[in-house]
Amino acid sequence: MICEEIIMSHKKDASGLRNSVDSGDSKHVQTKIMSDIMRDDVETIKDPVNGYTNSQEFRGSITLFDAIPHQDSLDKLCAAKAIETDGRNVRLDLGKCIMCGRCQQAAPDIFLIGSIFETPVKVRQDLIRLSGKLDSQGQKPYEQMGKELKEKTSKILRRSLAIREVDAGSCNGCEVEITALNNAIYDIERFGVHFVASPRHADVLLVTGPASRNMEIALRRTFEAMPDPRIVVAVGACACSGGIFGDTYATTGGIDKVLPVDIYVPGCPPTPQAILYGLLLAVDRIEASKING
Amino acid sequence: MGRMGEKVKSCLVNSNEVHMLLADKSNIPEACSYLQDELASKLCSLISSDERQTSGAFVLRYVFEVHGKEDVFIAVTARTKESAENQLPSVPSIVKKFPLAVFYEREIRDMFGIIADGNPDARPLVLHEHWSAGVYPLRKDFDIKTKVSRDTGKEYPFIKVEGEGICEIPVGPVHAGIIEPGHFRFSVLGENIINLETRLFYTHKGVEKLAETMKLDQALLLSERISGDESVANSLAYCQALEKIAHTSVPKRALQIRCICAEMERIYNHLGTLAGISTDVGFSYGSARLNILKERMMQLNSVISGSRLLFGVNRIGGVGIDLDAEKLAMIINTTQIVQEDFEKIISMLRTKSSVVDRLRNTGIISKKVAYDLGLVGVVARAAGLDVDTRRDHPYAAYPTVSVDTHHDTPQNLMEYKVNLEKRKGDALGRFELRVEEVIDSIRMIDELISDLYDDNILTTDTLRLEPYGYALGYAESHRGQTIHWVMVGQDCDSLFRYKIRTASFVNWPGIEQAVLSDIVPDFPIVNKSLDLSYSGNDL
Repeated sequence: MICEEIIMSHKKDASGLRNSVDSGDSKHVQTKIMSDIMRDDVETIKDPVNGYTNSQEFRGSITLFDAIPHQDSLDKLCAAKAIETDGRNVRLDLGKCIMCGRCQQAAPDIFLIGSIFETPVKVRQDLIRLSGKLDSQGQKPYEQMGKELKEKTSKILRRSLAIREVDAGSCNGCEVEITALNNAIYDIERFGVHFVASPRHADVLLVTGPASRNMEIALRRTFEAMPDPRIVVAVGACACSGGIFGDTYATTGGIDKVLPVDIYVPGCPPTPQAILYGLLLAVDRIEASKING
Repeated sequence: MGRMGEKVKSCLVNSNEVHMLLADKSNIPEACSYLQDELASKLCSLISSDERQTSGAFVLRYVFEVHGKEDVFIAVTARTKESAENQLPSVPSIVKKFPLAVFYEREIRDMFGIIADGNPDARPLVLHEHWSAGVYPLRKDFDIKTKVSRDTGKEYPFIKVEGEGICEIPVGPVHAGIIEPGHFRFSVLGENIINLETRLFYTHKGVEKLAETMKLDQALLLSERISGDESVANSLAYCQALEKIAHTSVPKRALQIRCICAEMERIYNHLGTLAGISTDVGFSYGSARLNILKERMMQLNSVISGSRLLFGVNRIGGVGIDLDAEKLAMIINTTQIVQEDFEKIISMLRTKSSVVDRLRNTGIISKKVAYDLGLVGVVARAAGLDVDTRRDHPYAAYPTVSVDTHHDTPQNLMEYKVNLEKRKGDALGRFELRVEEVIDSIRMIDELISDLYDDNILTTDTLRLEPYGYALGYAESHRGQTIHWVMVGQDCDSLFRYKIRTASFVNWPGIEQAVLSDIVPDFPIVNKSLDLSYSGNDL
């Protein structure tokens, strides 16, 4: 019944504005569109087990093997200055890593790049990895994380999770991935998450970029306009640490230099899955801040 | 250079670049006018560099691109220095003849402290009002780690439109959607836009200065992040500049892979822009369908290059990824599926009067405006200018593929020229052109893959650079021509100066002209149809 109505209204639409339409048989096309809509497959990831995973080639998390560094130039290797060595130990800062893969090429016995995304964390320190420690955190499929997020949000916020996104000087790579969360494949709205136009409506501030000096004031004001409880999620290597842009005259070297950051999502850029994982942690934080008053 | 005679001190030719050193800086306007009028060339970049330590002066290079059949760039070079202690160096402004130069000259004033005498716009551009005076980040004596104190209480003087009923609408830098930051100041009469002033550089993060502290290989990673969604085009321009300095020949297979990836980048971005246009006219079904295709392309990117944004494709002297038979088959299959779906969606969008009517006659950029502002890419082509770097200055493997099918026979060319004259430069024109380019790109990828050479992907020669060698690198991104000027340092493994001029930098002033016949609610459509990068502009 509803479908019929839609088709009828489309027909009306098409016939009423015939002169502005190039094709003559628009009626036919309109009905065809409707039948196409009804026949289209569901593109959204739905299978929690066999759902979309990153391709094997994807450069994601790095595992650090315990090996005595044989090259002095190891710390000069990294463009984002994520690797530090003191002669014996290697210290890898995943908050700075831009996933270029050069370290694996230069020292394959120390660095191993996997295809799963780097796990977002609540404390900046957790992104720093020392040699010897292997990454053992398991990751859940996208769909499962989304469902958990929905349950938590409805329990804690009794409504949906509202996000305000601010670009504080990113290269727009992170924006591409955040926008992807809204497409029909990831469709984050089905988990009760939506992006709002005003900070006044937001629970979460999603920030990208190294906090450029020219954006500093606007970023602060956006944060101040948000009601409590408010959570800041730093998305991408630049937001976590300044990334490849570092700490210079024009940047402040990470969002936590400007605002209190609750969640760090590493990656250059982080995949939509990683950002969703970050939001999952963000809701935990809201719960904690509510309990603490 | 007949007429210029003794005003030109010396001329230097390096592959397709002619460098003409002027005897005196006062001859700059004359030399530039000569190049535009007599040689039918257009200003495409203005490069300044602080060479006080090496040659005792600031050097300015006004780069012109010769139009027509010849693949030549001409750089007018002039030197200027401080005439006295505490006095800023100056050059005569060329704004009178070249309106597009106003932004270059303001940028150079901010970054180098070189005054363009006669430029009526003395407002800061890159360094906002809260930067203290006397800070010139791209001078060699400025340390990149300097934290400049923040001045308060100063306001940026926007152009005031006065009259009965005129209101100002300030928008930004934080926008309602998920986009980059920038400020728009509308002066409106009712709904009609009387004037628009854009204020950008909120994402300025010191890319050019940062490059000077990096090794060549690291700066390549930086060039990919100038604007995340044009990573292939920008890193390609960077690599080509270095390869030109070193006279390295890149293996043919690598050149072809570069082109395949560059076209894949064009496809996924055009799909995203078309989806954005569909959202902005309020037709979400179309945008949902197009975004699915964009996501498919991004997943393909991930398989091909290990990054959903194609980071890591280019290397100096070749490429970092190889395409085996399986991956090639995947590219062909995916692009084929995308094309089939794409054609269906587009034919649907074309029949939707709500889409077509919003786009037609919206955001018009005339041919004259496009020419005067030196616009590039889709925006320029939609206005009727026949510019495409892939064809005008062939690079990588583009000489072996037919970039467009308009120029192959005289009859096609004639038809194309007639078609060009008919173009209105409105949002619909840009929409249609993007559709055409997606199909063209898929055809080019097919062509490249069917003819793929069996070869190395990285040159085996060592990169032989000379100290302070310089060259231009260029590429056509999905936004248009991007030109990078690279000058290597004394140790041949660092950069002395890296000037980036992306398509966004030249196309941004176009938006102020495009909205003049429109109403405020049409602004998002105009903005999206121009598809400009903030990060690529702000650097």
